[in-house]
Amino acid sequence: MRLARVRAIAWKEWREILRDRLFFTMAFVVPLLIMLVLGYGLSLDVENIPFAVVDHDRSEASRAYIQRFSGSRYFDFVGYVERDADLQPLLADSRIRLGLVIPARFERRLRGDRPVEVQALIDGMFPFRAQTTKGYLEAIDAEANRELLGDFLKRRKGLTVSRAARVVAPVRLAQRYLYNQAIESRWSIGSGLMMLVLMVSPPFLTALGVVREKESGSIYNIFASTVTRGEFILGKLLPYVGVSCLNILLLWLIATQLFGAPFKGDPLFFFLASLVYVVCTAGIGLLVSILVTTQVAAVLLTMVVTFIPAMLYSGLLVPVESMSADARMQAYLFPPRYFLEIVWGSFLKGLGWTDLWVPVAVLAGYAALLWSIGLLAFHKRPRR
Amino acid sequence: MRLWWRRMRVMTAKELLQLSRDPVLLIIIAWFFTADIYIAGSGISMDLRHASLAVLDQDRSEASRELVRRFRAPYFHFQGGLDSPREGIARLDAGESMLVMEIPPRFERDLQAGWPTEVQLQVDTTNTVLGTLATAYAARIVARFGEERALRALGIDRAQLAAMPRIVDRHRVWYNPNQIDPWFMSISELMTVITMLALMLPAAAAVREKERGTIEQLAVSPLTPFQILFPKVIAMALAILLGTAVALFLILLPVFHVPVKGSLALFFVVTALYTLAVSGLGLFIATISRNLGQVSMLVIVVLLPMLLLSGAWTPPEAMPSALRHAMVLSPLYWYIDLGYGILLKGAGLIVLWDSVLGLAALGILIFLFGIWRFRRQFG
Repeated sequence: MRLARVRAIAWKEWREILRDRLFFTMAFVVPLLIMLVLGYGLSLDVENIPFAVVDHDRSEASRAYIQRFSGSRYFDFVGYVERDADLQPLLADSRIRLGLVIPARFERRLRGDRPVEVQALIDGMFPFRAQTTKGYLEAIDAEANRELLGDFLKRRKGLTVSRAARVVAPVRLAQRYLYNQAIESRWSIGSGLMMLVLMVSPPFLTALGVVREKESGSIYNIFASTVTRGEFILGKLLPYVGVSCLNILLLWLIATQLFGAPFKGDPLFFFLASLVYVVCTAGIGLLVSILVTTQVAAVLLTMVVTFIPAMLYSGLLVPVESMSADARMQAYLFPPRYFLEIVWGSFLKGLGWTDLWVPVAVLAGYAALLWSIGLLAFHKRPRR
Repeated sequence: MRLWWRRMRVMTAKELLQLSRDPVLLIIIAWFFTADIYIAGSGISMDLRHASLAVLDQDRSEASRELVRRFRAPYFHFQGGLDSPREGIARLDAGESMLVMEIPPRFERDLQAGWPTEVQLQVDTTNTVLGTLATAYAARIVARFGEERALRALGIDRAQLAAMPRIVDRHRVWYNPNQIDPWFMSISELMTVITMLALMLPAAAAVREKERGTIEQLAVSPLTPFQILFPKVIAMALAILLGTAVALFLILLPVFHVPVKGSLALFFVVTALYTLAVSGLGLFIATISRNLGQVSMLVIVVLLPMLLLSGAWTPPEAMPSALRHAMVLSPLYWYIDLGYGILLKGAGLIVLWDSVLGLAALGILIFLFGIWRFRRQFG
């Protein structure tokens, strides 16, 4: 391993990156864009659920009941429809997500101290949204019922209003949110996205860098030269790791400044851990570049092996503990899960070396494994 | 005219041949339409499952035990009792528990005396969605517990409940009554895959000609720009439609048992229309880039906002209103409406005609724009 040769290759690669203006800007713009678009757009809050009502009663009580929905920020009143059957096409066309059917004699039954059934049709297309809608619906009904019950007790048992309210709800749940007190989903998603971006962008750059030479045939110059495969790979990948290091800083700035995520941990530790992660994901790109011969294939394969694991199996959206056994195994197999632990530990929980050395060690081991496989599988004498 | 058709046929055959000669690419495309959709569809559930709960019970009474018992599987996973508050914090820090509940001493006595009492819940909100979801579930459980206790204290039993004013919730969830996540996830992933490949493949095929210089040969041939570009789109669209069929009949139907309610023929027509529209966007990308590195970067730049703003992952209703209007420009926005509408909701043309029209208009516009750009470059 001669350092001079590594330096020469790295320098050549760097010049090449610089000369391809569009590619160079994209190397920085794409990570930024992913971060910004997902950071602002990946909102899982279920709000403004559009709903329509069939009101067969048209009384004061039924209007008050509808007001409970339209008054909350979770629901968005679209309008009344005449018949029950009118709800179906609206749901099928996704114009509404919830349809309420209030029966005739709604008010009279409640006045007469009798239960009344309200029908709700929920669009189950997006299960998570349906589940949440159901939760809101139950909460609104529960509140209405508590008021009805309090009123009932006041009339029947002669309790005062405040006493009746206390009797109806004797236990209160006092919740305290830890680590993300304001429940800013942007803090969690914004910082967590560093994991996603750094999983996707370094392999892209490295894989394209190597496969481009393969496809254009300029790699034969390397094959014919005295450069060893170790020197080639190292020199080739160094500039891309360098670009990714700059990206770490940029992304960190976006997460803390733009998304306002607090950084409670040790910056030096976090930067070093990120570096290990970038080296590890660049190794994925190296393996991809050895498997394929065309750039299209390189791009698509990189997408396959990085995006889905980082998005779905990292714990960004669903904690690893709540996954099914198979999914959990996949989560432990890929590196993103470990880095996400480091990111959230450093950002939100303020943890450092003592608590997070295990994931860092796993990532380092992963990187060593990927790079050694890459080194062994890369041949200067292609079989074809 | 016969010559025109023949040229189109020959060019399409050439594209298909070229595609079939890259086995790695073919394997990757096959992977996208099968394994990738399977992976995305299985195993991921956005619902609250096994939220780990530890309890510091300072009362150790019958009432406190009953409350804890109500935190049941599959939503909660009861991990056991704690001895001190510090232990709870340590468990939360280490990520071993997501929730720590603290029941105060004299809980039962306060309840019986009718004094207001409070149960404390500490929630790990690193994942905000599940944090809030777990809190909402917990609040509901505690409220119901309190209400039932109160009714019991007042001597009101089930039979008397019928003689009380209350609203009974009769809800039904349509299209996916049991909220089976794979139905949603697999269709969503199928649409994502179609979008990505429809952007990528024609763009790649066009730029490869540029990179290798073979575009010059085509440019001096009697072929018009349309005849050069459109066969690429047809060839890739055929591959994508075939992939969609594979995904539907090998993964979505037999593995996930997605109940297809609408007309599959309509779905394929709509998919073909959508593929054409997105390919036009891909051709546009091909005209502004010189090599595949640039193409792939630009594809990501176009793909991500499109996926995100069209309601593939997040509900369009939750978007700021300015963005909601911008979404009309994304073909995926229309396609999602159509795809779910046809596959899950069984909607037909009568309900969906406006979306089909929107998609068609947008597709033709984008496609003409792509061709126009290309003609300016090589015409």
